Amino acid sequence: MALLDIRDLNVSFTSYGQRTHVLRDVSLKVGEGQRVALIGETGSGKSVTSKTVLNTLPGNASVESGQVFWRGTDLLTRPDREREKLKGIEMSVVMQDPLSSFNPVFTIGHHLDSVLYWADRRAGRRRGRAERTAHIRQVLRKVQLADPDRVIAAWPAQLSGGMRQRVLIALALMNRPAMLIADEPGTALDVTTQDEILRLINDLVTEEGLSLLMITHNLGVVRMTADYVYVMRKGVIVEHGPLKQIFEAPQTDYCRELIGAIPPLYGAAVKDQPLSGEPPLVKLENVSKRFTRRHLLRRDETVDAVRNVSLEVPRGEIFGIAGESGSGKTTLARMVMGMLGATEGEIVIDGVRLTDHAEGRIDRRMAQIVYQNPGTSLNPKRTVAQTLDVPLHFAGLDKAARARRTDELLERVDLPRHFASRYPHELSGGQKQRIAIARALAADPKLIVLDEPTSALDVSVQKRVITLLEELRSDLGLTYLFISHDLSLMRNFCSHIAVMLRGEVVEQGTPAEVFADPRHPYTRALIAAVPVITDAEDAAKPVVTEAEKKRFLVSSAA
Amino acid sequence: MGKVFFVASGFIEFLLRRILGFAVILLVLSLMIFALARVVPGDPARMAMGPSASAEQVEAMREQMGLNDPLPTQYFRFLSGAVRGDFGVSLISGRPVTEQILRLLPATLELVLVTLLLMMVLGVPLGVLAARYRNGWVDTLLRLISMVGVTMPAFLVAILLQLFAAFYLSDWPLLGRIDRGIELPGGPTGLLLIDGLLAGRLDVVRSALQHLAFPAFALALSGIGQIMRLTRSAMIENLRRDHVQTLRSFGVPDRVVTFRYLLKLSSIAPLTIMGLEFASLIGNAFVVEMVFAWGGFASHGLESIMQNDLNAVMAVVMVSGIFFVLANLAIDILIGVIDPRLRLKEGR
Repeated sequence: MALLDIRDLNVSFTSYGQRTHVLRDVSLKVGEGQRVALIGETGSGKSVTSKTVLNTLPGNASVESGQVFWRGTDLLTRPDREREKLKGIEMSVVMQDPLSSFNPVFTIGHHLDSVLYWADRRAGRRRGRAERTAHIRQVLRKVQLADPDRVIAAWPAQLSGGMRQRVLIALALMNRPAMLIADEPGTALDVTTQDEILRLINDLVTEEGLSLLMITHNLGVVRMTADYVYVMRKGVIVEHGPLKQIFEAPQTDYCRELIGAIPPLYGAAVKDQPLSGEPPLVKLENVSKRFTRRHLLRRDETVDAVRNVSLEVPRGEIFGIAGESGSGKTTLARMVMGMLGATEGEIVIDGVRLTDHAEGRIDRRMAQIVYQNPGTSLNPKRTVAQTLDVPLHFAGLDKAARARRTDELLERVDLPRHFASRYPHELSGGQKQRIAIARALAADPKLIVLDEPTSALDVSVQKRVITLLEELRSDLGLTYLFISHDLSLMRNFCSHIAVMLRGEVVEQGTPAEVFADPRHPYTRALIAAVPVITDAEDAAKPVVTEAEKKRFLVSSAA
Repeated sequence: MGKVFFVASGFIEFLLRRILGFAVILLVLSLMIFALARVVPGDPARMAMGPSASAEQVEAMREQMGLNDPLPTQYFRFLSGAVRGDFGVSLISGRPVTEQILRLLPATLELVLVTLLLMMVLGVPLGVLAARYRNGWVDTLLRLISMVGVTMPAFLVAILLQLFAAFYLSDWPLLGRIDRGIELPGGPTGLLLIDGLLAGRLDVVRSALQHLAFPAFALALSGIGQIMRLTRSAMIENLRRDHVQTLRSFGVPDRVVTFRYLLKLSSIAPLTIMGLEFASLIGNAFVVEMVFAWGGFASHGLESIMQNDLNAVMAVVMVSGIFFVLANLAIDILIGVIDPRLRLKEGR
């Protein structure tokens, strides 16, 4: 008998009187000790599935039909009070976003103790505070947090993302559940941290004999953490089978597309971007940026966000800057955009020294930027036309010319003209990012800074956006400065790559060189942490020793 | 240990910054008051001497009051006096302005503090209730009440309450701060409730509370409505956060999540408003003070304005400003205690 057995589940949502069918005849099984993955893109219904199991569906959702068997009992027929008792005790969820999953005005220990206290109450157990704290310490050690007492006393804001993710796992393990439901764990974290977290989950599942339902859109993650895979699309399970079968011999077009959309890290499918061989458009010479925090009582603190960086971006190339959060890559981009002044050094774009201009006064026709999250970088109260109007207005176009250019821009980014009157909430993530790209193109810039333009998008959407960017580059002769932490994407999309660590460029070259023979241990660690989808790629990854990892990566365990 | 100090020093630095900022505010305020006092029509010397005085007498008075000195000299005289708590003498009564203010301030302060307490004690829980049952009948009713509360002017509420008391509560006191027959305890604060408690005089406390109830409620009503709505929207905003989902997913009961975890987080916004409310209350209390013959600082300020008693007006505005600053400082400390992020973030 399977531990969890979902049969023909149908769930619908009602909003503003309109009913939407979000799950259609979903059937899924998780056996005792089995590791199962549920893959799907945004809005495919994978989270709704887990919420139905956990009984945390929002009020406007209703289960139309189907059964959810837990150890042979249909949960849907049981009263809420009884289902409540399963939460955290029989099945536990590992929350997705470690940064927002704690109430900022309560200590970490308070959260943990609360969960334990109420679980005890439901189970009819009585434990004193000291006893609970002892148990919490033990669980925190289990998730490899070296100093449990410090973690217990800490406020959420005092812990790193990786540490908070570990605490979230500890929360899930608190009452020795039989099954873990992991909802995109670690996706909000850096690759190296995500890698650590996934390994931890894997170890715990093996050691504690847990079952795992991994919910994710990242196929690399699936390969690391699951044996059996369900693929979901628009509320329907389109394909399921053992991991090997799905990855190596997918039956449906959708699966093939999904797998095909993932940029390969190594192997024959890797694409090498040609070098343009032109003189540099952007030149950075010994550029540094120091931020100073002024204090009244203590000495001022300084942070060297960028240290002594020298780069040349040839015209017409895609120059990638790789690095994790806090490596200084965004600061560097802001300086190139002229939004921040450099503390030292010289930035030259197209023969013009940026340092000659006051901050923010750079000619906008020189450089434009596309931000990471199109959901927040577009003003929700402005239509597409109004959004595009801003740069066109400053470019000095009159009304008729602006309208013409808007049509032209929409066509450029492969969107129909009538989208001009739409609001951002009427667009999908990929469409929004196209608008953001159109906005960057509006003033006819020479350089576009792409700040993780696809990290908020699904892989298949990412592929289409990347294809669009490639087309635009060759059609318009653009130069890109591409900031990302997605190394497999950079391998295929960039013609040049620089790796940043703590404000410094530690390695640069063509992707072919850097990936074939990464010199710096940090580069090796970064590449090794990328979740890939074939064994061949795993085997081709560089080797990095534990000692090197300790030296260059921020540990989330301390 | 070093860690604890680090955290504390960050917060102390934050407070130091605020105190410095407030000092600047007070300085600017003093400048504005001074400038204002010099541009309003009417000669203070003439005002002090009365209409029958001769031009020579007025001129002599001007000289005596220092009105013929250069403006910077006058300003620094005003400022150094203000720092020592000396605002000169009233042009009307001839008594030191500070003395009058000290006599009247406790009455208004007591009224305002009780009003603020009412706002918090009623506004926040009602807001929580509205958020918890949002879009239900409880919410609709509370929103309606808050709308009425916000729109009804305080003097109208005051008069209605007084009428109600006059018709239906025969023994209820209608005017003043305390029953006439009661001997005042005379304590350090001048606040009847606190002095009464300190002296162990429960009759004083009881009578003072009776007198306070209606004026404070009349004054608090609009604030209760505001704070309720603010709490409600903060709660609803926070209800959508992931951390609510976290606790719920692990089976922490809804009421604990709402009343404990969310309430603390959502009390920050209404608290911020309280600092501003305090200032406006000190200024606006006069309408209610008039209705209930309270004899407080606020109505004194109004009288001084009507009588063109410049020294008194300047003093009243200055003292209000000081209280505004103190109230906001207190609120900042309180929010710092609630929200660790404020303590952890040091410098700028």
